[in-house]
Amino acid sequence: MNYVLHILVMIEIYLILGLSLNLLLGYGGLFSLAHAAFYGVGAYISALLMVNFGFNFFLALPVAVIGCMLLALLVALPSLRLKGDYFMLATLAFQTLVFTILYNWVPVTRGPYGVSGIPQPQLAGFKVAEVWQFAILGAVFAAAAVALFRKLYASPYGRVLKAIRDDELLAVSLGKNTTRFKVTAFMISGGVAALPGALFAAYVSYIDPTSFTLDESIFVVTLIVVGGAGNLKGPIIGAFIVLLIPECLRFLNIPDTVAPNVRQIIYGALIVMMMRLRPRGIMGDYGFD
Amino acid sequence: MLELNNINKRFGGLKAVDDVSLYFTERKISALIGPNGAGKTTIFNIISGFIRPDGGTMLFRSKPLDGLPAWKVASTGIGRMFQDNRVFGKLTCLENVLLAKNGNPGESPLGPFFSSGKVRDFERRNAEEASKWLAFVGLGDKKYAPAENLSYGQQKLLSFARLMADGRELLLLDEPTAGVNPAMIGEILALIKKIVKEAGKTVVIIEHNMSVILEIADFVYFMDDGRVETFGAPKDVLADERVREAYTGL
Repeated sequence: MNYVLHILVMIEIYLILGLSLNLLLGYGGLFSLAHAAFYGVGAYISALLMVNFGFNFFLALPVAVIGCMLLALLVALPSLRLKGDYFMLATLAFQTLVFTILYNWVPVTRGPYGVSGIPQPQLAGFKVAEVWQFAILGAVFAAAAVALFRKLYASPYGRVLKAIRDDELLAVSLGKNTTRFKVTAFMISGGVAALPGALFAAYVSYIDPTSFTLDESIFVVTLIVVGGAGNLKGPIIGAFIVLLIPECLRFLNIPDTVAPNVRQIIYGALIVMMMRLRPRGIMGDYGFD
Repeated sequence: MLELNNINKRFGGLKAVDDVSLYFTERKISALIGPNGAGKTTIFNIISGFIRPDGGTMLFRSKPLDGLPAWKVASTGIGRMFQDNRVFGKLTCLENVLLAKNGNPGESPLGPFFSSGKVRDFERRNAEEASKWLAFVGLGDKKYAPAENLSYGQQKLLSFARLMADGRELLLLDEPTAGVNPAMIGEILALIKKIVKEAGKTVVIIEHNMSVILEIADFVYFMDDGRVETFGAPKDVLADERVREAYTGL
């Protein structure tokens, strides 16, 4: 049972990551490869606040969200001047930079040794300790993220983002300050990515930089490519599919030493297959064609 | 309404606009004509803020436009239709027109959460107005159709509805009949006249079709090599030797 609940917690974490990246990718048309960086910074801010300063999880969480939003603002201002592939390269550089800092700034992040002993969330004397309790907390977070993005996607703000994705020049000619919209979308996306970061840190009680690499960013992109972009359903379906497919390997008796490589092959094949056969993903409104 | 004084623009060694002064009168249709590369679209890009001129001044309703970014120029009341058909293809016709209205409190990311009542009211009024403009251009029955599903000519009509939606006073139309089937050209010309006569807008049009110019323009500027060569009433300008030479080679 714990195994199933563990998968559920991971689906909840990636579902939130997918929804937040979808605001950039599916709505703003901004292809970011830096989502794991925000996920990681959110995890580290909350973990370090809890471990070093005794913060409660629910106090550390908003600090992590605000920290990631400010970081997103810092990254967005120079990189959003770039377009298309160049923007993607800028986010790739940021992702690499964050990983390098997490890995080498040992006095603060403890580098490759990671941060251990991260306390479990506590609220009004109730401790979230068991896997099923994390699954419920994750479900609450996921529901909050769904509600947030549902409102944003359906709003005039979401409509302008879609317009920017379709034709930025035309949006400018209608009086839209497209830079402001893209910067705020980047901040919201980065801030929300801190949420699963903090949840992940508290859940596994130990984090190190290897959980927040470029592979992780690509993984989040994969779940949007598979599920589809530009609506709520796509990233949700994508999170379930991309996390559940590799679990099937467990029933095929593939040795543990080979399984991670097979998983990577499956993800790669999934991206290529979807790009070729269904560029809109399974449920997407917006294609990558 | 809009005056451009001694505008200059160079692209490297090429002088795209050379000391051009233009005056556009309110509620009239003015036309910019001239061969390809004459600098007409560059003038539109300069007016709408997409290109900064190297020199000269621009006044719109006696207020300077110089140095304003494109999105701010649009909010002063100047609308622009591009030479190539531009629509938000994945959005419906109604959404395309809704986007034209500025000052929507729901366009702030916090608006939908903290001013939902205001956003709802604005959206309701905006939708009523957008529907009115869609009907005005003859697309009333296409409200919920994705813009990418419209024909080329219908997409042009949608661009007109979008231009009208935010009370823009001056409309810059870059070859509005280019690529449109002949049957629809008449419909578009009738619409332009209606926009000026009934809605009181001012129109500046770039056009290569001289019969269109004769039919709708009140005043014409002929440009060549980045300069204004001659201007005046359409019949007089089209009778000018330089214009005839540019268009017929005779």
